[in-house]
Amino acid sequence: MRIDVSGLTKTYKGGARALDGLSLVVPTGMYGLLGANGAGKTTFMRILAGLLRPTSGRVMIGGHDLAAAEGRLAVQRTLGYLPQDLGVYPDLSARRFLDYIALLKGLHSRSARRRRIGELLEVVALSDVADRKLKGFSGGMLRRVGIAQALLADPRLLIVDEPTTGLDPEERIRFRTLLSQLAGDRTVLLSTHIVDDVAQTCRSLAVLAHGRLAFQGTVGELVSQAHHRVWTVTTPGAAPATGRVVSALPDGAGMRYRVVSAAPPGPWARPAEPTLEDGYLVLMDGRVP
Amino acid sequence: MPALLGPPVLAVLMLLLATFGARLGSREENTRWMLMGALEMGVPLLAGVVAATLPSRDPVAELRLAIPHGYRPALLRRLAVTLGCTAACAVAVSAALMASGWWTFAYGGAAGQLVWLAPALWLAALGFFAAAALRSTAAATSLVAFVWTGEQLFGGALADNPAYRLLHLFATTSWGSDGWPINRLFLLATAVLLAIGGWLLLGNTERVLRGEPE
Amino acid sequence: MIASLRYEFAMQVRRPSLWIVYGLVLAVMVAVLDYWSLDLDVYEVSVPKEAMGVAAQIIVTLLPIVYGCMLADRPSRDRVLRVDGILDTTPSGRTARLIGKYAGVCAATAVPLAITYFGRALLYVLVEGQPSALGWAAVTFLASILPGLVFVGALAFAGPLLLPPMVFRVLFVAYWFWGNLIPANLMPTLSHTVFSATGEYVRYGLLTPISPEYGRDSAVLDFLRPDHTPATAWLWIGVMIALAVVVLSLVRLHASRSES
Repeated sequence: MRIDVSGLTKTYKGGARALDGLSLVVPTGMYGLLGANGAGKTTFMRILAGLLRPTSGRVMIGGHDLAAAEGRLAVQRTLGYLPQDLGVYPDLSARRFLDYIALLKGLHSRSARRRRIGELLEVVALSDVADRKLKGFSGGMLRRVGIAQALLADPRLLIVDEPTTGLDPEERIRFRTLLSQLAGDRTVLLSTHIVDDVAQTCRSLAVLAHGRLAFQGTVGELVSQAHHRVWTVTTPGAAPATGRVVSALPDGAGMRYRVVSAAPPGPWARPAEPTLEDGYLVLMDGRVP
Repeated sequence: MPALLGPPVLAVLMLLLATFGARLGSREENTRWMLMGALEMGVPLLAGVVAATLPSRDPVAELRLAIPHGYRPALLRRLAVTLGCTAACAVAVSAALMASGWWTFAYGGAAGQLVWLAPALWLAALGFFAAAALRSTAAATSLVAFVWTGEQLFGGALADNPAYRLLHLFATTSWGSDGWPINRLFLLATAVLLAIGGWLLLGNTERVLRGEPE
Repeated sequence: MIASLRYEFAMQVRRPSLWIVYGLVLAVMVAVLDYWSLDLDVYEVSVPKEAMGVAAQIIVTLLPIVYGCMLADRPSRDRVLRVDGILDTTPSGRTARLIGKYAGVCAATAVPLAITYFGRALLYVLVEGQPSALGWAAVTFLASILPGLVFVGALAFAGPLLLPPMVFRVLFVAYWFWGNLIPANLMPTLSHTVFSATGEYVRYGLLTPISPEYGRDSAVLDFLRPDHTPATAWLWIGVMIALAVVVLSLVRLHASRSES
């Protein structure tokens, strides 16, 4: 399910502009959306989910125009949405909560609903605690309930906003794997500020900065932006004065710094293999010629 | 903010009624009853609802609980500010009524302040206790509202019940000065007990963190 | 709509504080008003229809205030719990969800009230041996209590969405006293008019008719106090339902404006 966005602008009351003329094409498959906090990712996701109306611009999803009520309804029928700030009814069990959302999504057959909920609880590994009240669930378990509700109607488009924030490393890896497995012939739009999540799951991505498109392409293309710009410097003294220090590790009597810089940050600097994070930092620093 | 705005709004309405009451065509006794009623019933209603709301609505409760003596004193300060604002308005209005001749009740001056102070503290203490015990603003407000409404209706039916005469919140406007000082003192004493009960319940950190049981 | 109704009902009816508050209120009514005494030492209750009318009068005087306050925090619950994001992305219509939520929450909050009322009716049947009381209780509840609850429910549903919750609570209590309970000749009031939610037009116009002159002093807004007749009883039912529709439409309009 392809998403075509053109000239999308969203200005909130008070004049804050969250999106500024964003144009983007999202193909079928897993797609990453990176950006700093406040870059406009959540606003973009909410517009795609039909929760917010853009100030101007056009969004077409699978041929449906979101500006029209019928278009929004058609998209919502094929949409699974996991918001950044997921809330649940604490007094319902996971099974009952999913049942309620399934009813709202139009799954009226009781037997089909039960079967689907049972399957999804298996997929997200919550079958054992399905009848426990949600108020006792950990953050990771609630995220899994969130993804289960997003998948209830077997959506063609899955929008997940900052899904791994606050999860422990094990839960994060499990969640990322699950999302990758779900992609298949779906469009899964993964919005995050955690670069590693995109690096591990997506082939293509876009980067937003200040409501504008800063980059669109493959993960490899973004990484290549940092070629010949990443260095390691081991020194007993202070951190290198030039470039941006990405990491600092104690190394014997000194420190080993990883630095992103257009020129070698010192005489003992050695070139290093760039990662997606380095490419992202180079992009954000505007150091690409 | 609404908690701080309510009392001045009520005070202004009462002062307008006191100023123009005679010209509205209402009988003087009616106007007098309404002024005393607003003081004895309106002020306690505001105090009761505020006190029932504040304990359940602290978004930084967890943060405060982690600081020594951070939660209950902070809550008490917030209550003191809002109830203090209510009290200041009530004192100003009752002074204006005494000065303008609308106040014909047997007790005036400082003792006359018990017209509103005793029921206000009692309903506030009830709201505070109920919010602490039930951990629900809706439940605490419901109880305050029920007691407030019920007291309006029970006053006539239970006028001869000696036990109820001690606990009736609106004795001034219902029955006048007969047994009034004892009623006011009894209300103040039971209000203190309710407040202490609420204070103790809010000392249970685990209960506070659990929030509303639903 | 059915899904929202079903789940909102289930969540509200299982709320412990709902039952605790109604329980405490009933305890006070029994202790102070002698609610189970059947005649309250005042009324003649040998006729089941009249006895059920008296019980209805007590119920609608005191319990709607609890009913209104206990349901007033439900409309904003989805937003407070941050579930609204998920709900709004489902293809279910927002108007249908609003109506389902309203009906479910109001029905659940009215359950303890109905139990209190029908419990007394059952006691009456056991003590007096007149089973027709249950039928009259049902008729009285449907005709004289329910329309009032429909309107008060809509008011309590809309208030916290349109006003700060604390302001709404104070105004709601003040409204209930001013608009439904105080004597009509004390001050200009909606009390005892066709806009009052206490159902007296049905009780005195349809179920147990009383003389038009009974207990009437002239008062301001008397044009809103037609005589108690079957026609005005039906008028009152219509007014309550129409007001509820208007108030809920305002809620929907407000939500639409917020969306845009």
